[in-house]
Amino acid sequence: MAAKLNSVWRTLKRIWQLWLFYAKLDLLLLISDVRLALIYFSSELLTSIGSVIGLLLLAQRFDGIGTWTLNHLYVLLGYSTLVLGILNTFFNYNLSLISRRIGRGQLDHVLVQPQPLWMIFITEGFAPLSGLMGLIPGILLFAWGLIGLGVSLDLGWWALLVLNLFASGTIMMSFNYIWGSLAFVAPRSSEEISSSASRLLDQLKVYPLDGLGGLLLGSLMTVAPVGLVAWYPVRALLGLNSSAWSIWITPLAALFMLGIALFCFLKGLGYYATTGSQRYSSLGHRS
Amino acid sequence: MPPQVHNATAHSDIVVELQDVHKVFRQRQRSSRLSETIRHMFKPRIREVRALQGVSMQIRRGEIVAYAGPNGAGKSTTIKLLSGLLAPNAGRVRALGFDPINERVQYVKRIGVVFGQRSELWYDHPVAASYEWKRVVWDIPQDRFARTQKRLIEVLGLEEFFHSLARELSLGQRMRAELGLALLHEPELLFLDEPTIGLDVLSKRMMLDFVKELNRKQQVTVMITSHDMAELEQLAGRMVMIDHGKVAFDGPFEQLRQTMSDGRRLIIETSDETAPSLEGAELIESQARRHEYRFDASQIKIVDLLNQAAKQTSIIDVETVRAPIDEVIANIYQSWRKPKEVLELEEAL
Repeated sequence: MAAKLNSVWRTLKRIWQLWLFYAKLDLLLLISDVRLALIYFSSELLTSIGSVIGLLLLAQRFDGIGTWTLNHLYVLLGYSTLVLGILNTFFNYNLSLISRRIGRGQLDHVLVQPQPLWMIFITEGFAPLSGLMGLIPGILLFAWGLIGLGVSLDLGWWALLVLNLFASGTIMMSFNYIWGSLAFVAPRSSEEISSSASRLLDQLKVYPLDGLGGLLLGSLMTVAPVGLVAWYPVRALLGLNSSAWSIWITPLAALFMLGIALFCFLKGLGYYATTGSQRYSSLGHRS
Repeated sequence: MPPQVHNATAHSDIVVELQDVHKVFRQRQRSSRLSETIRHMFKPRIREVRALQGVSMQIRRGEIVAYAGPNGAGKSTTIKLLSGLLAPNAGRVRALGFDPINERVQYVKRIGVVFGQRSELWYDHPVAASYEWKRVVWDIPQDRFARTQKRLIEVLGLEEFFHSLARELSLGQRMRAELGLALLHEPELLFLDEPTIGLDVLSKRMMLDFVKELNRKQQVTVMITSHDMAELEQLAGRMVMIDHGKVAFDGPFEQLRQTMSDGRRLIIETSDETAPSLEGAELIESQARRHEYRFDASQIKIVDLLNQAAKQTSIIDVETVRAPIDEVIANIYQSWRKPKEVLELEEAL
């Protein structure tokens, strides 16, 4: 037992060490050139705002959407921006869009590193400074909405918020990995499909899905789990669902999706070991 | 049941062992004809490319092995198998006592790999940052890292561009930086896949001298592929040649030369401009009073050729040189080219 605990401690220490290093690399990259940093921050900030501004204007014009008040919508938009911000913070350098890494022959660089693949995947893309411009608007919108709603929140609620945020991020990542694993077989097509799949979740995640028909809503909660990225967890966190258990649905769904993503990725990795990179096949990239 | 004998263990003399290794890739065939293309939609025509067909070899600790062969012979496939990037269809691959695929993490800690056409450097960062990255990811102790880095900067001449962005380096600088990066953790086994491709003469020499020195001083085992045979001959004591996925030659360079013939060049400077006609030698160039002949020393003696020449003209100067290794290899590759019918028959079988 002690040996096992020691091993877990060493692994956590290692992850922390690698995160610190990659954070330093990120910092060095941005501060090495002030112009680069300003351009990068501005474009990231505009992208973050741009992804929510449409719905924000509609909500302002009509003082909410359906049963969602303006403040509820601020929370929803803040939450969805935070999810993307977390992904950009932890899985930069194409680690969230894995089809690019696989399809462009970059997996070989990963395989020659003396670390388990999972550890490389959760550390190598850590870029806290680059991800900051996704997080700040998210935090502001979320806080604004919460203050407007005037709800009193305890520590347990904040813990559930963090759990749900990471669960939503895991769902987005898993969805990308499921489609991205196609790149083991058909890199070019996979990059197109995977980008479209990722965009689908990214662009629809801001909308409240109340009032949709059963089939459509069911699809958006399972096949293309848009609802689990922001709408459903925010409903659960704000107590808009009838069951208190609904707060656990997103984390459970995240575990399930992660399982499917792991299965697809490991299957693909096995295929990769027998065929190598498909970069130069008729279905691959040359550039 | 007797215990299985494992060579290429962590402490054995043999560090790399390939036993009857096969690797097959499947390649879909296309047609330029519409009817065939439609038929292939439902019944694809698949060609099996046998990249490796029963390759067996061993490399001893401290050896430098040149691994050569024509394009598509299976060189890069072998390096990928040994780097843990590909698994064989059949046969056994072991290096430093590890199975490169199933014991990847432990194994890659002790090897270095340089792919001439790929980069391990972080392009948007200075070379120094990539070296620091290597220290952290490979978990190299700080004092050992500082010592090795200092030595590599000196020997490979990295000082002038060590703090420049990797994307701003020239090809020669980049390859030197790549080699340094691959050696930072002091690997026991080094795979170099066309490391000198595109380099100028000086950069090539610097890199090869360094690898030789590394091998001599630290007993690092090296396996290098290249199309530059003169470079391989300068570096390696042993040559393994592969053709159509099979080992076609394994031995010293000297033996390789003798396999084809003992090709030599005879250069004679005569008193007049007419080149003497020599039986058993082929005139390949004649400029003013300088005439160059190609001949096989195992078939005819130099003294007989000189006697023939002396009877026709007066000789001022004589020089003999061995045929360049590139010429020997080109002849070997040429002799390996099989007629189309033979290849088709082999594929059908």
